[in-house]
Amino acid sequence: MKKLALLLLCCACQQPQLAHAHAVVTDHSLKIQPIHANAAETVTLDFNSKIELGLSQVFLVSKGDQLSPLLLSKGKLPGQMAIAVPALSPGDYALKMKVFAADGHLTEDVIHFTVSP
Amino acid sequence: MAGIADFLDSLIGGFALICYCFAVGSLFWGVFVLRPWHRDVGYTPALLERTVKLLYLGGFALAGAQAFKIVLKIWLMTAVLQKWPFPEFADTTQFIGGVIRATLTLVLAGYCYFVLNKNPYSKQCWQTACLVALPMIISGAWLVHAAGRFDNPAQLMALTVIHQLAAAAWIGGVFHLVNIWLMRSQQKIPDHLWPTLLKRFSVFGMVSVGVILSTGLPMAFQYIDSWNGFIGTGYGNLLTVKIILLGLALGLAWLNKTSVQAYYRTHNSHTLTRRLPYYIEAESLVLVTLLFTAASLASQPPAIDIPNLTATWQEVVNMFAPQIPRIASPTHQALIAGEAGRVAIIGQVPSEAATAWSDYNHNIAGIFLTSMSFFAMLSYLRVPASLSFLERYLGYCTRYWPVGFVGLGIFLFFRSDAETWPLGPIGFWESTFNNGEVLQHRIATLLVFVLGVLELIARMPNKQNSYWPYFFPILAAFGGLMLLTHSHVGFQAKSAFLIQVGHTLMGIFSLILACGRWLELKLDSPGKNIAGFVSVAALFQIGIILMFYREPLY
Repeated sequence: MKKLALLLLCCACQQPQLAHAHAVVTDHSLKIQPIHANAAETVTLDFNSKIELGLSQVFLVSKGDQLSPLLLSKGKLPGQMAIAVPALSPGDYALKMKVFAADGHLTEDVIHFTVSP
Repeated sequence: MAGIADFLDSLIGGFALICYCFAVGSLFWGVFVLRPWHRDVGYTPALLERTVKLLYLGGFALAGAQAFKIVLKIWLMTAVLQKWPFPEFADTTQFIGGVIRATLTLVLAGYCYFVLNKNPYSKQCWQTACLVALPMIISGAWLVHAAGRFDNPAQLMALTVIHQLAAAAWIGGVFHLVNIWLMRSQQKIPDHLWPTLLKRFSVFGMVSVGVILSTGLPMAFQYIDSWNGFIGTGYGNLLTVKIILLGLALGLAWLNKTSVQAYYRTHNSHTLTRRLPYYIEAESLVLVTLLFTAASLASQPPAIDIPNLTATWQEVVNMFAPQIPRIASPTHQALIAGEAGRVAIIGQVPSEAATAWSDYNHNIAGIFLTSMSFFAMLSYLRVPASLSFLERYLGYCTRYWPVGFVGLGIFLFFRSDAETWPLGPIGFWESTFNNGEVLQHRIATLLVFVLGVLELIARMPNKQNSYWPYFFPILAAFGGLMLLTHSHVGFQAKSAFLIQVGHTLMGIFSLILACGRWLELKLDSPGKNIAGFVSVAALFQIGIILMFYREPLY
């Protein structure tokens, strides 16, 4: 019986990944690096915890609340997401995200930004 | 169907913690309090059978809850992301860790069902059950909030697991005390076991609470780095609720401890058998609510991560500032006209009408509750003989005040979600099952209406000694749970918090309402009347909060 207990203990300790807490954006590149008109850019979002990229979605919201999905990739830092934003004409936009944190919480958030001429 | 998944997701965490307390708490109870291998104490086979049964039923239910959590995640992700979440979900810790934990829990429950159940007096079997439980307990570390931190994850994970273990030991033990009392009432155990086990648990409970505090405090300091974070965030707010509930439970625990000490000093069993069992029942109600609050806390971002979204203490206090209630509602047309701008992402225009609509709903509900509870409080006052004519006139009001709940239920049904049926364009079923917030409002509306009807039936002259009066505290406690787990979608984090802070305070008062009414039904005088008055005074406080409620403009 003790061997069984030891085996189960080992199983429990061999989980491949760590779970992470409720994801909120703690910082983003738009604060210091605004998007310029007619130039594709990469926006980075920093989260307070690790996120599941494959189960997260970010949409570009343009005038009239038109949604277009954006391509996501892993950022350089832990908990960072890189978003490829296409060339945009001047105007008001937003990034609408549905992010699945590694602890299983699905968070929705919106970041507004302006593209100036 | 995303609404149902969202709502169930908010409840399943609390349910899983209750099961955890039954499973792990029963182990602690068996090994440290009961110690069944000491046969001279006089344990009956029925007692041990029931103890082990609670253990394995808790284990099986926990395994089921863990599996259901995974199903809910799949359901929720499919609804929100509009795609099947596999194969990506299969690689996440939630899936892998959840499946492993469910399996390990099943192994523990299976061992207790097949082996411990047949050898409940065997010390070796109890020790083996503890060893089998160990991997399940440790595996939980990968599924908690702490595991996600970039700073000190291992330390926080260890603290969380020990915190949960101590909580399970205490709360599971309290559940077992309720069981012991029930078995004593049914004459299934000897009378002397009641004070003996109470005394043993008293020491064990104090040690458990000591561990809860010594692990909880360092975690709180890691997640909250300022007073403002404690006062002005959802995380800090729910932690405050936990502290208040812990205080309530400890107050009841102190009553238990002093009653046991008094019994051993005087050998007068009156308090021990006529009051103490009901204090323990009320304590259980508080602790169950505490578990749901703990589960809600896990879905909040820690205060340390959101310094820019933290409300100031002045903003928090302002939510409770007395002001003239809004007794005029904007028209439904004005509300609907502002909805497109309010829900827009680009070019959002805050809707004065939506805020005023919500204020009106809350304020009128507050007027309902303060009026009802005012008459309820009057019923506890002794009317002098010279004013006995007043009693004749007020008699119906002070006796049948719960009719106000029926009226409130009807009012809320029409007003809660104006964009949905019967006033708005979105259909009843579509809105109920696709929006978690609407679903919660519908349940709350039904709850209020049913509460009124059942309590009115209970107050009929021929129903007072039936089971009808017990529905009120049970439904009030459920209402409190809903207030503590209530979510507001579509708000900025700070606005959502400012709404939450009022709802959580009402949740605490709902629990006091429930516990007070429960004790009123169970205790003898004078405790009975004190508990009853405290209960309706809590309802009055809920009414006051609602009457002064002001929603942030959004």
